[in-house]
Amino acid sequence: MTILLIAEHAGGTLKKSAHELSSAARALDAGATIHALALGAGATSVATELAAWGAQAVRVGEEGFEPYAPLCWTCAVVDVANAVKADVILFGAGALSRDIAGRVAMRLGGTLASDCMALSADGKGIKIVRPTHAGRVTTTGAFSGPGPLVATLRANAFAVLKPAQPGAGNVANLNAPTDTADLRAIVTATVQSTGTRPELSEASIVISGGRSLGSAENFKLIYDLCDVLGAAPGASRAAVDAGYAPHAMQVGQTGRTVNPALYIACGISGAIQHLAGMRTSKTIVAINKDPNAAIFNVADLAVVGDLFQILPALTEEFRKALK
Amino acid sequence: MKIAVCLKPVPSTTADLRPAADGKSLQLSGVEMLVNPYDDYAFEAALKLREALPGSSILAVSAGGDDTAKCVLHAIALGADAAIQVKAPGISARGAAFAIAAALKDFAPDLVLCGRQAIDDDQWEFPGALGELLNIPHVTAVQSLNVDVDGKKLTGKRRFNRDEQTIEATLPAVVSCDKGLNDPRSPTLKGRLDAKKKTATIKTPADLGLDPAALISTIRIETIAPPPQKSPGRIITLPPTDAAREVVRWLCDEAKVV
Repeated sequence: MTILLIAEHAGGTLKKSAHELSSAARALDAGATIHALALGAGATSVATELAAWGAQAVRVGEEGFEPYAPLCWTCAVVDVANAVKADVILFGAGALSRDIAGRVAMRLGGTLASDCMALSADGKGIKIVRPTHAGRVTTTGAFSGPGPLVATLRANAFAVLKPAQPGAGNVANLNAPTDTADLRAIVTATVQSTGTRPELSEASIVISGGRSLGSAENFKLIYDLCDVLGAAPGASRAAVDAGYAPHAMQVGQTGRTVNPALYIACGISGAIQHLAGMRTSKTIVAINKDPNAAIFNVADLAVVGDLFQILPALTEEFRKALK
Repeated sequence: MKIAVCLKPVPSTTADLRPAADGKSLQLSGVEMLVNPYDDYAFEAALKLREALPGSSILAVSAGGDDTAKCVLHAIALGADAAIQVKAPGISARGAAFAIAAALKDFAPDLVLCGRQAIDDDQWEFPGALGELLNIPHVTAVQSLNVDVDGKKLTGKRRFNRDEQTIEATLPAVVSCDKGLNDPRSPTLKGRLDAKKKTATIKTPADLGLDPAALISTIRIETIAPPPQKSPGRIITLPPTDAAREVVRWLCDEAKVV
């Protein structure tokens, strides 16, 4: 199989998702020829790392790929996929794939599978496991064409394993498309988040607060624990609707879907819409004063008690343990 | 301005979803179907634009099974000037893009609005796929939208991973809408009564020159199942400091996730 990885980076620092794409590609086909594409300012500096992660060839495009223009990036992905005759194109599930993967798949005459949790090949085709209905059901499907498969992979769902041998990593520069039609949509301003906390959908640890926190000020209890653990803060819809936390932090059916190694739910009752956004988390700890809270049904560790006392104690204990 | 709004029927967010007897589909009889919540933001955006730009018209379009009737009725009750229902059961998001692109051909919209994702298949596929078929730009997941009709362009704001982006696009364009864009209104009683007098135009894939088989997903479903159920977890009822110590010990030493 020929597999093209769309490697995302932040100004020249490769994102963890690129390691997951490489690992998923080699798990799908140990003998796969792996190509990688990195676009945007700083792309050139991730080429060596992509080779170490098994890429036989790396295409990088910097000039003309900023500011971000969805059609310009679509064109680059499609051109490279066609040039290498990719059977599978892998994106990390996130803002980029949600912006252009549908268009890429349509232009390639292929098929899109979003938020995949597992991919495997059985000789006849590719087996795809993905959650639908916001995680209320899991669907297993089989794909054998026509056209390539464009798959977006849910963060933290694929075991990361560095290859024994690096790829050749031949680097080629990619020129930006010159058709002005590809600039019909273009980013004109970007306000970067100044925070140092990890991105919610990529974080290994997510700590969310519910309406029981009672106020925006009290969310400091969540933020303090996040900063000790290097975690991303989240919130339930009830807490967001009450104005305690911004919508960007909302975990659940009408917010973000997270899949961390550890999810800590604080004062969250566990409405089905919230469970949809976090139930695939590997380990779930829930803190709630109501012993019958629905969140406890999915929790590995259910702590019954007052979060206003437990959260500060937890922050203190982690601070000591991680010193 | 000619505005098209795409709507999809989805199972209620609180419905108890179970696999059907074949294990390859969902048991949907008796499950309440709603208009996809994100499509409500799209329709509200259309209503606001029509209010701001007199002479504008709104065409609602929904493609899929019989429940699409619910979407077009909802849109008519909210004030759609016209509605098209494409009867094509079992189609995929990609198939819906083909069906709706064909259904919009005569209307030639300046702006096509839809939700950022359908909360049933969660593919996030439709806006880009439709933009590609109509050969117009697409802008996804906006939380604010301004349309400059004379300048033939639009400006949207959205979150893109951790950043906040401002994005401009020329018209015509496809725009998908996120929560936070507006506060969708509900149909009034008068709207509901009026809706009974109006009808949607009903089309089949054949009417649109499409092969129904080409609208079905190319991923063949083998199983559809509830997510794995967890065995009950451990319950801790200790004084706060002891509880915190036990949580830290368990996470570091037993679960080994910290």
